[in-house]
Amino acid sequence: MESHLDSQQIHLSDEQFTELLLGTKAPAVRAHLDVCPQCSQEAERVSAAIGSFQQQSSLWAEHRAATAQPLHAGDSRRAFSWVHRPLAWSAAALVIALTAGVGIARHANHPQPNQQPVAQAQPMVVVTPGTLQSDNQLLSAIDGELRADDSTTNGMYGLNVTSHEAPTKSVRRLTN
Amino acid sequence: MQLILDPDMIGCVTGEPTLTELDDIEALDRIYRSRLLRFVAYATGDQDLAETIVQDCLLKAYNGRASFRGDCSVYTWLAHIATNLVRDYQRSRKFQFWRRVHKTAPDLNELSASLPGRGSSPESQMLAREKAQQVTAALETLSVNQRTIFLMRFIEEMDLQEICQATGMRMSTVKTHLHRAVKAVRLKIGGAV
Repeated sequence: MESHLDSQQIHLSDEQFTELLLGTKAPAVRAHLDVCPQCSQEAERVSAAIGSFQQQSSLWAEHRAATAQPLHAGDSRRAFSWVHRPLAWSAAALVIALTAGVGIARHANHPQPNQQPVAQAQPMVVVTPGTLQSDNQLLSAIDGELRADDSTTNGMYGLNVTSHEAPTKSVRRLTN
Repeated sequence: MQLILDPDMIGCVTGEPTLTELDDIEALDRIYRSRLLRFVAYATGDQDLAETIVQDCLLKAYNGRASFRGDCSVYTWLAHIATNLVRDYQRSRKFQFWRRVHKTAPDLNELSASLPGRGSSPESQMLAREKAQQVTAALETLSVNQRTIFLMRFIEEMDLQEICQATGMRMSTVKTHLHRAVKAVRLKIGGAV
C-alpha cells in the first residue's frame, strides 16, 4: 500500500493525465514530464494510440460513406421512416379491422333471404292395415317357395337336411 | 406535412439561421456522413446500425433545418440529434434483440489492411493498426456515456462546451465521464504506472 501511494505521488495522477491529453499542460505537469521519462513515454504511447485510432477510423468511415447510397432531395420524405413504420402498420390493421367490422355488422343487420332447402323432403308413406296384410301374405308366399327350392337342392347334392320341418313330397320322392 | 423536431433535440436554437449546407441535403450528406458514421459506429459498436442512424440523423436535420439557428456548429447539432437517436435505439426492445442476433462491429484491422496506406511503410501501418485496435478494445470496456464523450472529445475533437450541447449533460458530468474514460484507456494502453 505504501509503494502504491508512493507511485501515485511520484507520477501523474489520472486527473493530471486527463488534463494532459486534453492539451492543458499545467506548469507542474510540464515540469514532471521533463524529469519523468516513464510518464512522458506513457503519455506519448496513449496519444499515439488515440491518433492511430482517429486515423484508422477516419479511413474506415470514409470508405463506408463512399460505398453508401447518397441522399437526395426526394429522400427527405423518408425521414423518421423507422419511427413511422409501426404507425403505418397500425393504420393498415385498423382499416382491415374496420372493413371486417362493417361487413359483419351489415351481414348481421340484413334480413336473411329465403333459403332454398338443400334436399326435398320425401313424402311420408301411409301404411294401412290392408296394405300390411297383403305385404305379409306376399312375404309368406315367397318364403314358402324359397324353402321348397332349398330342400330340393340339398337333396340333389346329398346334403343333410337339418331343418326340423318335414321334407316336402318332391324331396321324399327323390330320396326314395 | 410539417415535421416538427423534438424540442429536447434542439439544444442550440438561438440566433439567426446563417448556414446554407442545411438547405442542401446532398451537401449535408457529403460533408457530414463519414464523420457522423465514425462517431455513431464506435458509439454503438454496430456499423450497420450506424448507417441507419446516420441516415435518419441527416434526414431529420434536413427536415428540421428551420429549427437550427446557428448558435452552435452544424456538426454539434448533428451530433446532438445522432446521440438522441442512438439513445432511442438502445432503449428500444427491437434494438436489444437485433443487437444480440446480428451485431456487426466495425473491424478496423480487416478494413485498413485492404486500404492503401497514406505514405507510410507497411510496418508502421501495422503498428498503427495495432494501436488503433488497442483503443477499440479499451472503448468496449466503457459505458455508453463514457464512450460517447471520449469519442466526441478525442476523435471528433469537439471541445467540452460542444460536448455539453451535443449530449445535453452538465459540464461536471461530462468531465467525470471523460475522466473515467481516459483512466480506462490509460490502463489498457499506457500500462498505468
